[in-house]
Amino acid sequence: MLTDNQVNAASKSRREFIAAGLLAGLAAGCGSNTNPFTPGKDQSVAPSGEKVKLLSVDGEVIEVDKAFLKPVPETQHFTNSEERKGIAGKKFVMVIDLSRCKNLKKCQAACDHMHHIPPEQNWIKVYPMKDAAYDAPYWQPTTCMHCDNPPCVKVCPVDATFKRQDGIVLIDSDRCIGCRFCMAACPYSTRVFNWGDPDLPEDIAKMDYSCETSIPQKKGTVGKCDFCPDMTRMGMLPHCVSACPNGVFFFGDLNEDSVTNGSETFRFSDLIRDKAGYRLMEDLGTKPSVYYLPPVNRNFPFESGLENENNDTK
Amino acid sequence: MKRLNNYRILFLLVTFIVSSSGYTQDSIAKQPLLDVNYFSYDNNIPYVQVMARLKQGRKFEPIKGVNIKLYLDSVSSSLLITDKAVTDETGKANAGMPTSLQKEWDASPTHKFIAEASGVKEFEGERAEIEITKARLLIDTATASETRNIIATFTALENGEWIPVKDVDIKIAVKRMGGTLTIGDEATYTSDSSGTVTAEFKRDSIPGDAYGNIVLVATVEDNDKYGNLSIEKTAKWGAPFAYHSTLNERSLFASRNKTPIWLLFMAYFIIGIVWGTLIYLVFQIFKIKKLGKQAV
Amino acid sequence: MDTTITLTEEQISRDLYPQKFGKRGTIWVAILIVICLVGAYAYYRQLKEGLVVTHMRDYVSWGIYISNFVFFVAISLVGSLITAIFRLSNVRWSTPLTRIAEIIAVSAIVFAAIIIVVDMGRPERFLNLFLHGRMQSPIMWDVIVIGTYFFISLLLLYLPLMPDLRILNRDPQKNPRFLNRLYRFGGSFWKGTKEQFRVSNRAIAILCIIIIPVAFCIHTVTSWLFATTYRPGWDSTNFGAYFVSGAFLVGAGGVVVAMYVFRKSYNLEKYITDLHFEKMGRIVVLLALLYLYFNVNEYLVPAFKMKKPEEQHLTQLFAGEFAPLFWFAILVGMLIPILILVFKKGRKPLPMFIAGVMIVIGAWFKRYLIVTPTLLHPFLPMNDVPESYKHYFPSWQEWAIAMGSLAGALLIITFFARVYPIIPIQETINEQNEKAEQL
Repeated sequence: MLTDNQVNAASKSRREFIAAGLLAGLAAGCGSNTNPFTPGKDQSVAPSGEKVKLLSVDGEVIEVDKAFLKPVPETQHFTNSEERKGIAGKKFVMVIDLSRCKNLKKCQAACDHMHHIPPEQNWIKVYPMKDAAYDAPYWQPTTCMHCDNPPCVKVCPVDATFKRQDGIVLIDSDRCIGCRFCMAACPYSTRVFNWGDPDLPEDIAKMDYSCETSIPQKKGTVGKCDFCPDMTRMGMLPHCVSACPNGVFFFGDLNEDSVTNGSETFRFSDLIRDKAGYRLMEDLGTKPSVYYLPPVNRNFPFESGLENENNDTK
Repeated sequence: MKRLNNYRILFLLVTFIVSSSGYTQDSIAKQPLLDVNYFSYDNNIPYVQVMARLKQGRKFEPIKGVNIKLYLDSVSSSLLITDKAVTDETGKANAGMPTSLQKEWDASPTHKFIAEASGVKEFEGERAEIEITKARLLIDTATASETRNIIATFTALENGEWIPVKDVDIKIAVKRMGGTLTIGDEATYTSDSSGTVTAEFKRDSIPGDAYGNIVLVATVEDNDKYGNLSIEKTAKWGAPFAYHSTLNERSLFASRNKTPIWLLFMAYFIIGIVWGTLIYLVFQIFKIKKLGKQAV
Repeated sequence: MDTTITLTEEQISRDLYPQKFGKRGTIWVAILIVICLVGAYAYYRQLKEGLVVTHMRDYVSWGIYISNFVFFVAISLVGSLITAIFRLSNVRWSTPLTRIAEIIAVSAIVFAAIIIVVDMGRPERFLNLFLHGRMQSPIMWDVIVIGTYFFISLLLLYLPLMPDLRILNRDPQKNPRFLNRLYRFGGSFWKGTKEQFRVSNRAIAILCIIIIPVAFCIHTVTSWLFATTYRPGWDSTNFGAYFVSGAFLVGAGGVVVAMYVFRKSYNLEKYITDLHFEKMGRIVVLLALLYLYFNVNEYLVPAFKMKKPEEQHLTQLFAGEFAPLFWFAILVGMLIPILILVFKKGRKPLPMFIAGVMIVIGAWFKRYLIVTPTLLHPFLPMNDVPESYKHYFPSWQEWAIAMGSLAGALLIITFFARVYPIIPIQETINEQNEKAEQL
């Protein structure tokens, strides 16, 4: 049985083959955060155009784009209309494994820190849930659901919150008039409002607002979880996903049928089917993009999360 | 796992035991950790990554702005790989092999990389090193009567020859967004005496691009002798996926220029009739005014 | 009722002519101005610090600004009720009440728009509604309908005013100089010819027809600000009719209060007679019963089922935290006025005034009960928020601004009565002549 490489090698020289392989790898792969030389097909690493000469393993001289040497790709800037369109080809989805959640609130801390939001305005809330008298209690981290039939987007009078083609719902704080209709419409209570001036350090407050980073937050406008599109553009995972020590959050692309929490990757359809994944308030018809895996075979008892509850916000 | 000086391990152990006994988190001293790792991408681009972190108890804090001087084999100005590397906000700095060291690089299959840190107080004078043997990882695909196999071959450089290596852990997976998905039940396979690993691809109809292409990737991770290697191959083993953008659909949650037609029709119809009447009435007021002027 | 007293044209003009403020009037205006100023100062503070000066927070994100807005929109419906419906059905006795109803409607709708801008987190971006407005949003519908209704009400106020302007312009020495300029503007071309009357009457008739669907729209669309959400207490198909019937009731109650006050202050007993109170009393009873009917639908039906999200909400309303307020609103806003007005003795001016005041106050609290309790019962438990987020009582700035808006609306009505005759002079004269011809 001939391998495919043997078939190909018969017609090409080894040098050409490696070059073709390198190009194929550059063109087809998606960036992972341990390998800076692979740009994503969705602009995760923009080639800077500046090349540098390096040695290959065999001692030959090769040319590599300078941008690929960076451990973390440089953040790109996008126009407002590009941010409103979103990343083509993707449909982001999140799976939250309730059997692993211990109410450590590391997701909350990371999200608050990276988005410069005050503690009373958590975008991620961890709820102690007990659906009925005989049901078991569990901890439920809740982000924005990025619904496919979003009630918040439907009611916004000025197009300040919008749904992109990659499924993410974002807020344009430069357009928002602060009517708070979206907050009334959201059944998941996931939106927060900047009632006063968010106390931001001066250099952050002076930045141009970007819908994808949701920084800087502005007085009199609405805020919420944004699925960190700035991170996914660079091939990295949202902050809550990386921050959770128990691997509760899985994030991925529905079009690739795969979700990962950084260390484990699963086929999304298998995961939901095998673990009976469900969505919150399915009967409202909002079509959320966040799935939950029921809290069975728990890693921690519910009570172990109670110690963190009293360190609540003031 | 990583090759550290024995002194370093001992030093760290001692300080860890001393500092973790009865101290609160804050009073535990912060220890600087300098790690050197070697990567070889696609068998072609070798690079060294230096990571600077502060360890406090069980927390690791990446440190930005540490200046790194990287040397090949021994600390000498003629063997300087780079002296311009600075760690970024993730604490990492990368450096490729400069063409100036071509002779030294080719001279031996095994090399030592030595990193010297400076510029940040805790890291002043810190040093770390790693020893690597050049190796190559190849990936190939083969289909035999309904079964799809991925064949990965691991060889190391020895006396100018690429010799297959046994018992190397190789991970084979499909490249996905943010990570890699195992191709079957196992995540890692071990190379046999011919340095080969054959893994069956069990992810049927996993979505690929519009033509059904998926990227298979074989990696060797954190190997003591060989570092990190990775190589990819595109195969047409995925289910074709036709992407359909929702931006051009009219819906109640679309932006203002994609309002459903029925809604636009209803709204403008009603507005038209009502405001049409109102404008007509305003003209009637002007008519009254004209009548008033006539009837003098 | 005594309607056979024939009055001369001169007497009618004299009685109904706008009068200067007496002592009571000046005190009334002074109090209103002070309340408005306090409200304005509170708003200045809100502009500076942001909405954090209110006690609205992430859960109760709509507070008394919005319930005030709903209240104003509700009251403004009276214009279409009294003016349009009565005119179209040739109800003659309602003539003295039409202008009262219209000015209440206009001033209420103006302050509805103002209080909504006050509630915005970014009022300076108001233009975004027109530059980037989305037709899919119920707020957009509300803006359009409110604007339309305001314009219609202005027209309906102005067109019947034109004959009276001529009467006011007849003797310029009677009026202060500034008012003369005002009267001449928009009134100088009215000569009272048959042609003009014909055009004017036809225009008024068309307005009356078109204002009715617009008035229904305005409060239905406002109710949809709530009904298009999923929340318990708001997710009801009943809301459109429920709100419109409540609007008619509170509008009628407002007109009754205004009738009594103007009658007393300007000695208009010959024009706003006991007959008017008797007839309005019957109408108010009918509207109150209608509103009671919709309330029963709104609360009894979900209470029968006690679906999970509604269970806590309804229990709180009937027997929990909001029970005192809820039963107060039902009793004072509907039941007691019905009891008063069902009896003939109750349809005298003073009992009707009391019933009217009760209806208006009950309605204000009812609107608050529609907006806030629902927001305190979200689907997911209130967690990971400061304790203050889980309760709501308006701050002094909110009270000041809300009271300021109410005072402002009353101020507009008061100033209007000072400037223009609050009872249409020409129409009253016409009516007298018609009655004399019939005899």
